[in-house]
Amino acid sequence: MFDYIIIGAGIIGSMVARELSKYECKVLVVEKENDVANVQTLANSAIIHAAYNPEPGSLKAILNIKGNYMYDQLEKELDIPILRCGAYVVAYNEIEENELDRLADIAAQNGVPEFSVLSYSEAFKKEPNLSSNVTKVLSLPTTKVTYPWEVAFAAMENAIKNGVNLKLNYQVTGIKKTNDYFEVEINNQDIINSKYLINAAGVSSDDIAKLIEKQPKFLIKGRKGEYFVIDRRYGDFVNHVIYPLPTEAGKGVLVTPQVHGEVLLGPNSIWVDDKNHPTTTFEGLKYVKDHSKTLINNIPYDRIIRSFAGVRASSNHEDFYIKESEEVKGLYHLGGIESPGLSAAPAIAEYLVNEIMQVNNKYELNKSYNPIRKKPIPYYDLDENKQKELYAANNLYGRIICKCERITEKEIIDAIHGTLGSSTIKGIKKRTRAGAGLCQGGYCEEKVMKIIARELNVSPLEVAYDKKESKLFTSETKVVKK
Amino acid sequence: MIDIVVIGAGAGGLAAAITAKEKNKKVLLIERESTLGGILNQCIHNGFGLEVFKEEYTGPEYAHRYIEKLISLKIDYLLDTTVTKLEKLSEKFIITMTSEEEGIKKIEAKSVILTSGCYERTRGHISMPGDRPKGVFNAGSAQRYLNINGYMVGKKVFILGSGDIGLIMARRMTLEGAEVLGVAEIMSYSNGLNRNIVQCLIDFDIPLFLSHTVTNVIADENNNLKEIIIQEVDNNFNPMINTEKHFFVDTLLLSIGLIPDITLLDELSVKVDPKTKSVEVNQAYETSVRGLFVSGNSLQVHDLVDNVTKESERAGLCAVEYLNKENNEAEEIRILAGSNIGYVTPQRLDFSWNSSLIISFRTNKKMEKAICKVIQDDKVVYKKRLMFLVPAEMETISFDYQILNRTSDIKVVLEELS
Repeated sequence: MFDYIIIGAGIIGSMVARELSKYECKVLVVEKENDVANVQTLANSAIIHAAYNPEPGSLKAILNIKGNYMYDQLEKELDIPILRCGAYVVAYNEIEENELDRLADIAAQNGVPEFSVLSYSEAFKKEPNLSSNVTKVLSLPTTKVTYPWEVAFAAMENAIKNGVNLKLNYQVTGIKKTNDYFEVEINNQDIINSKYLINAAGVSSDDIAKLIEKQPKFLIKGRKGEYFVIDRRYGDFVNHVIYPLPTEAGKGVLVTPQVHGEVLLGPNSIWVDDKNHPTTTFEGLKYVKDHSKTLINNIPYDRIIRSFAGVRASSNHEDFYIKESEEVKGLYHLGGIESPGLSAAPAIAEYLVNEIMQVNNKYELNKSYNPIRKKPIPYYDLDENKQKELYAANNLYGRIICKCERITEKEIIDAIHGTLGSSTIKGIKKRTRAGAGLCQGGYCEEKVMKIIARELNVSPLEVAYDKKESKLFTSETKVVKK
Repeated sequence: MIDIVVIGAGAGGLAAAITAKEKNKKVLLIERESTLGGILNQCIHNGFGLEVFKEEYTGPEYAHRYIEKLISLKIDYLLDTTVTKLEKLSEKFIITMTSEEEGIKKIEAKSVILTSGCYERTRGHISMPGDRPKGVFNAGSAQRYLNINGYMVGKKVFILGSGDIGLIMARRMTLEGAEVLGVAEIMSYSNGLNRNIVQCLIDFDIPLFLSHTVTNVIADENNNLKEIIIQEVDNNFNPMINTEKHFFVDTLLLSIGLIPDITLLDELSVKVDPKTKSVEVNQAYETSVRGLFVSGNSLQVHDLVDNVTKESERAGLCAVEYLNKENNEAEEIRILAGSNIGYVTPQRLDFSWNSSLIISFRTNKKMEKAICKVIQDDKVVYKKRLMFLVPAEMETISFDYQILNRTSDIKVVLEELS
């Protein structure tokens, strides 16, 4: 019997897992995907917003502000990358300037620190490619950018070190509540019992609710966003996150510097019927191109190396839906966690665990809790002496596998065997950035495939690109049977 | 100190190293793979060597001719060694490299020839819409999996782009038992060599859809490719409605262009030509950084390996000349791409060199007959009649540049003849 089962190992599930690991309770995280951070957490803008637009007093506002602060502490504890680039929200005319002033008001009410309103010429000094059509700017120095799936990995790894269990490829297919515990059915077969249940299933969170509630109080409506990625070697045309004014549809098409130097363009915002199918379209990508160009000049569109899409878990509520189920006691929903979900994630976890679930009244503190997690070694970011020392200990640091991002064989092997080890091409890319660069794996995919096969002692025919069934190869070439 | 370090031991690097060594220079050839020969090793089809050897070889055989020579000349080479950094300090280069055997190591050289080849454009570079499943491969990557590793990436195949690798793979996958349903090309003409269109598509009844591109990629629930949609495009390459064709395939191979790989030059501020997406060079293949030479596919993407060899042999000789050359104030003019010309290399002519001038260029439109003119100060200084020009085939011209004045730029133009 578990005390808590968390459904979903995205950024929210991972943060909640870590928060719960501070207590003496038995926690299991179940994830339908074959990896942590594989859906919404994998495809978003990566921004820790300043809280300049959520309705004052809303959970979105309160938890965004708090989450933004908490990332400073998390950076130290979890060794995660943070880019403190700040943001500019831009206005183009008098009507928009009024709206910008209204946003500044909201920022003030929400307690956003250090914000200011700048003239175009003031902003231009710090952002030389800013479109000359911009007339006024809301400057938000506390806006940061992180690496979302690395944050989820870090939180989950730390939670595991502190006693949490994680099961991947565990899809919840049924939920029953007897008098005092839940029976959670996994993959239409096994049953796992738990006293409490936490629904952190992101875009699928309403599907989870429907498994046990007659009339779920929230409904997820998928809102797709498409993006371009610009090669990090050409990413220096912009210094801040550049936002247009927000609309009903969200924060708009942004230009966002990333922690490793790339720049993201996007997202658009399209309601989709199929929330499980984040596909890019010709029209969607064109929209992103046309709108990003109005913010910043000299965007190197010829240096785009990738496009992708993600689906936001928007709901029929304006605000985050973080509540105990009205129908089923002991079931807690984290519904409608769209933007600023990443920004608020650590605060959401704390709010759920301490205020909604009041875990501190139910369980003792975990005395051996250790908040510290060290990130995997990025060999080529180290100084020469450190590199020599590491090479002396393991000469596989000497062999480069991904030449674009300069990832060594040792780093690949560590990613395969780590606490959250992965043995898929995509999993290795998420962990090491092998294949994330200019040639998009054209050079290193074959090498990564061979290392996976060797480390797991399997045939290359067994190596998967992503899901278990997505094997890279269909067969050997014509061979002479021995 | 080493005289000349050559980076990359494909066709270009082998040729450059051999030529330099034949002039008794101290040469080191560095290769990141565990074998010499580069991409030639995975090109097991024939058609190589007709120009250089007047004989037809497969890729590995062609490479072998040069590898034998390299070994007989006792040229130093390193395998499984990746160069990670290239710097220049006053008159010498510092090359940082790494290998499993030796870790990170620095060496010094008087001159460097970069023959690092090219990389394949990916679906990301062309912003191909759709899902992101397993089953979308670069044609060259799939070729490596097939011919080097011995694995098939799929059984039902569609190919985007009629570049030569795509065409070769259409035939290769067919021979290996896969069904190739078609090749789509966004341009109104093919980008491959004519002989490959005939021998790889027509001979196997594989349809070629000109002015078409892939507009959707659809994954199944396991994130495997299950379907692609192609559409005809208008003159601005926008897909036209009601032209959708569906193909149910497990593999989409991309042969949508090659880009010279000059990422190693990031640390040096080398002048780049946006047209070739590589560096600018003078007729000695020297970049704007003195003593740094670039040739082969890292300078411009060639159609024939024979031309990579010949160009890199010249680059090797020029690097040798550099070692003995006085650093005069150079008289230099620019070589410009004029009407109907996609790009030219070299982009500069430097009168302090003894090396001859060979200008490579591509037409940007198909022409039956044309006259190529080199113009300086509104005067035609050189002309040559050319037949059957297509963007897929590189042309070269050569003339004695001592006839030129040393102050005005020259322009290469193509005039179509009816």
